[in-house]
Amino acid sequence: MPNTDELSSGEDERYETFVARFAHYEPDLRRFLRSLLPTAVDTDEVLQQTAIVIWRKFDQYDPETNFMKWACVIARFEALAYRRKMARDRLVFREDVLELMADEGAGEISERRVEHEALESCLLAMPEKQRQFLTLAYTPGVKVKELAEEAGSTAAAFYMRLKRLRHQLMRCVEAKMEWEEARE
Amino acid sequence: MSFDTFKDLSGEEQEWVDAWVDGTIEEADFERLQDRMIESAALRAVMRRYLAIDSALQSREADLGILDQDSAAGPWLESREPRGSAPDAKVIAFPYRTAFALAAGLALLLGVGALFLATKSQTEPGGEEIVHGSGEEPSARGFAVISGLFDVEWAEGASPHREGDTLGSEVFRLAGGTAEIQFFSGAVMTVEGPSEIEMKSAWEAECRRGAVRMSVPPAARGFRLHAPETEIVDLGTEFGLVVKEGESHVEVIDGEISVRHRDAEETILEKGDALGLQAEGRAVEVPNGRISFPDASKFSGRALEEQRADFERWQSHRQALARDERLIAYYTFDRQGRKGLVPNLTVPRNAELDGAVVLAEPVDGRWTGLKEALEFRRPGSRVRVNVPGEFSAFTFVAWVRIDSLDRWYNALFMGDGYETGEPHWQIRDDGKMMLSVMVDDTRPNPYVSNDAGFHRVYFSPPMWDPSMSGQWLHLASVFDPENRAVSHYVDGKRIHRQEIEDRFFIDTLRIGNGEIGNWGEPFREDPVFAIRNLNGRMDEIALFGAALPDEEIRELYERSRSSR
Repeated sequence: MPNTDELSSGEDERYETFVARFAHYEPDLRRFLRSLLPTAVDTDEVLQQTAIVIWRKFDQYDPETNFMKWACVIARFEALAYRRKMARDRLVFREDVLELMADEGAGEISERRVEHEALESCLLAMPEKQRQFLTLAYTPGVKVKELAEEAGSTAAAFYMRLKRLRHQLMRCVEAKMEWEEARE
Repeated sequence: MSFDTFKDLSGEEQEWVDAWVDGTIEEADFERLQDRMIESAALRAVMRRYLAIDSALQSREADLGILDQDSAAGPWLESREPRGSAPDAKVIAFPYRTAFALAAGLALLLGVGALFLATKSQTEPGGEEIVHGSGEEPSARGFAVISGLFDVEWAEGASPHREGDTLGSEVFRLAGGTAEIQFFSGAVMTVEGPSEIEMKSAWEAECRRGAVRMSVPPAARGFRLHAPETEIVDLGTEFGLVVKEGESHVEVIDGEISVRHRDAEETILEKGDALGLQAEGRAVEVPNGRISFPDASKFSGRALEEQRADFERWQSHRQALARDERLIAYYTFDRQGRKGLVPNLTVPRNAELDGAVVLAEPVDGRWTGLKEALEFRRPGSRVRVNVPGEFSAFTFVAWVRIDSLDRWYNALFMGDGYETGEPHWQIRDDGKMMLSVMVDDTRPNPYVSNDAGFHRVYFSPPMWDPSMSGQWLHLASVFDPENRAVSHYVDGKRIHRQEIEDRFFIDTLRIGNGEIGNWGEPFREDPVFAIRNLNGRMDEIALFGAALPDEEIRELYERSRSSR
């Protein structure tokens, strides 16, 4: 545990290395965790907790080894701990499901990255109005029900539209991935 | 290897997955979903992909921000009143949301204000900037601006500033030279190094050591300057202060001030009065006129001279650059030649490459009164060019002043449409530079209408935020197929380099018809997508048909920059 009162300059440097590395892998870790947890809010929370644990254990990390692999082990553990805490939440995966997802997900980090690239171009190609709708729907703190009511619509219609767009993006990403795979 | 996709899932599986994502799944269905997950590796694999997309959309919001709340809400909430009035439906862009949360979490853990990740500001619907972070971190929006720097040397460890930089809560340290700081209250401080000034607010600062002169107009009356053990309140116009080894000397040049030293009663000093203030002792009257306080006005003539020298240096640089054989075209936007045309300056002269100005307006360039620029503020603004030929690499270099990034994409230089081999050089609304070249515009995408074709956009990290509005920047991007790399540069420094993967490889490059500052013939009519005028100015752009190495980009910057 680092001294909590003062950081020596060595600590500063260590902290900066950590932040740089963590920032680099943060999107990977977020995607990884998202597949284990019910919502983005849970994901954020566990991601934060994971960051803290990684920082605490940063001394034990061998810089010559794969950071992401190491981080995934910690993230998996934190997700399990969170699951136990939240076990009564009806959307939380069972332990066996979570572990399976984590084990397999840890091996797909680079796939996720390529998919993310694909997603970027799919979004780019999307009509502006759809993109704006997605942006709005995914704005933190937005209450779908209120938003829908405000628009004179229903939450169900809102979800339906959101679902359709998500499917459309998924198809687009998968088409690009399939195409990649066929080529390789 | 088989590839499982979402559409390979059964109808009920799809429904369960969506219901789970939306948080509306029934308990029994959730059990069934989990049972099925245990059995089916395909379901698990598809779910991970699907959730990653969901997660990306969530953080993409943070990535893109929301430019215009009304327009973001518009398509869904067309019939309703403006969103600003709906208290429950706040649309707040949270850039760097996680970074902040992460840093905040760590800071809590460590008990330090190590929030350097979190110093980006965020914009609230009211337009007010809220600055997160604490300690001595410079904030994106400060309360003072550096209005002049003369022969400055920066203290060791202090980050060098440029004219026009904003200052927030921080300690301003000068090793030598003179700086002029304008507080947003209207007070002006001229400070001479070596000195150390703690910036507290638009109305308050502390001189820890060094010599300062304060000019306080009526609107800023009440400005407070602290010296060791002393508080000085300006009651109007001008005074000087020197702090040396804990002792201060204060003198009223014009008007009056109030001085409170240690526990003594406050004293009003008038024009010509001077006080010596000992850290441990008393305030004593001392003769005035013995000390010359910092004075920026003596530099004003020099600033102009320097500008002229810089401008002349740039002119000779321009002449040399125009002969560079790798140049495709070179424009500096000075008003000359026939109206509505900007000449291509490459030597030997090739008038075929002259640009046609549409709506863009001539304005002051980098050197006010000496150099002109074009402003692309109006949505239709552009300079049209036609550049024939094939190239094996691209380097684009421009001096740009961004006022704001209004568009989703803000054009620097764009091939019309977006055909195979054509470049798009632009800046996204989050301040990331983008360079892309169409790799194959014929490659169909059956699922998405209006898909541009097969290409990759190479993004830099964000290099611009609103605090940089109005600053001249030297931007460069290089598309280098031979070395399989794309690089971005700001002010001569490389900020990003990314590999060109095999599948995105292309080395037969073209431009054809293209535009500076906007996008011609967009393939979609949607104006939000299609209008890409740069809200800002450009006063020079060079297009090279070759990849320039780091050193040359740096040299281009050094030779054309101004020293202030």
